[in-house]
Amino acid sequence: MISLRNVTYSYPAMAAPALKDVSLEIPAGQFCAVVGANGAGKSTLAFAIAGFIPHFYHGRLEGDVTVDGKDTQAAPLHDLVLSVGLIFQNPFNQISGTKFTVREEIAFGLENLGIAREEMLARVEETMALVGIEELADRSPLALSGGQMQRVAIASVLAMRPKVLVLDEPTSQLDPVGSREVFTTVRALVAEGQMTVVMIEHKLEWVAVFADRVIVLSQGTVVADGEPGAILTGEGLLEQGVGQTRYTQAARRARQAGFWPADRRLPVTLEEAAAGFGEANGG
Amino acid sequence: MPSLKRDFSTLTLVLIPVAIAINIAVGQLIYTLKIPLYLDSIGTVLVGVLAGPWAGALTGLLSNLIWGLTGLNVAYAPFAAVAAVIGLLAGLFSESGWMRSLWKSVLSGLITGLVAAVISAPISAYVFGGVTGAGTDVVVAFFRTIGFGILPSSFAQGVSSDPLDKAVSFLVVWLIVRALPMRFLARFPRAENVQETGQAAA
Amino acid sequence: MSEALSLYVPRASGVHRLNPLTKLALAGFLLVAGLAAPGLWGTYLLFALGVLPLALLAQVSRELLRMSFRVVLPFAISVFLIQGFLWPGGTPVIGFGPVSLKQEGLLFATAAAGRILMVVSSFLWFALTTRPDTLMTALAQRGFPASLAYIIVSTIQIVPRFQSRAATILDAQRARGLETGGRFLQRVRAVFPLVVPLILSSLVDVEERALAIEARAFNRPGPKTSLFEIGEARWEPAARWGLLAAAIGVIAARFILYR
Repeated sequence: MISLRNVTYSYPAMAAPALKDVSLEIPAGQFCAVVGANGAGKSTLAFAIAGFIPHFYHGRLEGDVTVDGKDTQAAPLHDLVLSVGLIFQNPFNQISGTKFTVREEIAFGLENLGIAREEMLARVEETMALVGIEELADRSPLALSGGQMQRVAIASVLAMRPKVLVLDEPTSQLDPVGSREVFTTVRALVAEGQMTVVMIEHKLEWVAVFADRVIVLSQGTVVADGEPGAILTGEGLLEQGVGQTRYTQAARRARQAGFWPADRRLPVTLEEAAAGFGEANGG
Repeated sequence: MPSLKRDFSTLTLVLIPVAIAINIAVGQLIYTLKIPLYLDSIGTVLVGVLAGPWAGALTGLLSNLIWGLTGLNVAYAPFAAVAAVIGLLAGLFSESGWMRSLWKSVLSGLITGLVAAVISAPISAYVFGGVTGAGTDVVVAFFRTIGFGILPSSFAQGVSSDPLDKAVSFLVVWLIVRALPMRFLARFPRAENVQETGQAAA
Repeated sequence: MSEALSLYVPRASGVHRLNPLTKLALAGFLLVAGLAAPGLWGTYLLFALGVLPLALLAQVSRELLRMSFRVVLPFAISVFLIQGFLWPGGTPVIGFGPVSLKQEGLLFATAAAGRILMVVSSFLWFALTTRPDTLMTALAQRGFPASLAYIIVSTIQIVPRFQSRAATILDAQRARGLETGGRFLQRVRAVFPLVVPLILSSLVDVEERALAIEARAFNRPGPKTSLFEIGEARWEPAARWGLLAAAIGVIAARFILYR
């Protein structure tokens, strides 16, 4: 579904490249998390997949980026947005500001696409049900909580029926309740309908539970790539500025003191931690 | 190479509502603090500088119409043409490189204020009977007392407030532009008019 | 609608059901006629026979009168006092000791107040009876550029947020000891620490907002559709042309008859 081959990119007026020789293949239906320190190139990767690099940010792009069969450099942006939906941090900035109800806000993208009225009405209802925001339908999109606004943003993008959803730190400005709402919504989408998700996140505990795959970026290159349990317990994480889940940190300390089974891999989720500590204690 | 299509990029399109909101929010803030200035065109000037004279003119025009139609200050609406000219001049001064230096920016503001006063006077005289309904009417009163006509008195009132107000506005925009990181500034259509080596780092 | 900056008051009136463009044409005609009305009492007549009945029909007469009064009053007071008392070489009519109201001044002030009243009330009538987004949709359906519609409607939705952000910055700076009272120069100096942070923080959002509308295919070439249809009665288009013709007629008449 998503393919990057030897991608190197520099922003305009910046000397150092933000992405250096990145190659990735992401199959359809995968929930892929991207982690890394600030400035590692995560947002740049997101923009490159969504086609905003090069169409919005310009700059120098080398290599190939193919999404949903489309070459992102050749296809125009308004065609690419049909394949890739982009969600980012600030919920307020994603509300168009041109519509007075959530229902109309979700239809905004469809209006731009010239979709017929009956189809629009159907898609809006369907998407609201999918994201679980039917009760917000007649409310003003700007009068919502952060988590609600973010879900409206997701719905607005989903209504355009992309095959890929790219989310750039979608929960960083939300409280725990809002974060959970977003994670469970996205996970449900992947489980239901072959949505491919690329999510940039710092909340590693959530990544460990929800993601199928974790990619670690450091200074513009991919330094680790695999399943969450392996990657998030890797030794080089701290130098790469990624950090570890609470469970990993706790178990690491416990292992030094002998309270974690020596041959057991460090946990990344509550269940793994409970199982490991249970084994160490109970025998 | 400046072109209308380039001036009205998506970024400009999104900048204009933000600029109008800045006009309104700052204008109201200044009024609440009883500072004897208007400062209701900073956004307009900013758009003129970053996106060119036509974008600036549009910002001014819409600002005043929205001010009027939303009931915030209905009296602003008839002066939409004046606001448009302010945006236009801001863009033209910036095109000529005047927004690069502090004192030339202030001078641009003074001149723009003067032009604004000239254009406002007939509107004020015809629509509002030559008065502003505010404290600045003492200037009008003074000139009427010494025998000036309606139009000249209105002009005198304008000259006593507009050049200073616009000079301060242009100064604020000069400060803002210098404080903006290069990476952000470079994305605007007319940024080359204000970019220089003293720019803040990204 | 509560979040947005708008005068619109919903009413179940026939006027509210009219196509927004018809209301625009009506308000425009009243504005033009108000500015071109001849004589001293032309504007007041127009207000009584034109604006007021329309406001009553739209069930917004109370709001219209209240707001018109609030806006027009300072101008009216100013114009009567200044032009009334200070008309150079005017004919005194009523004396107050050393000063007196001049006849020319009073006549001028009456005419001016009438014009202010017409300008303000036509604007207000339109704003009270028209939803901004339906106006924009109606215009867009007739070829009005989508970018302009976007600018206008998003402005009125984001302004309240900016106003509260300004208030927050004011509080924060005052808490840091910023003096906003006192002498003139001190107050002018207080402007910069208030205004510059407000503007810089607002500009941060601009790039993301541009990204967001691109992500919703805003710049896709080709016609846009609309979720809701703005209808109109069959007589409305003809009425609008009639109003336009009438407005032109009024301007022409004014120039020809009252040179």
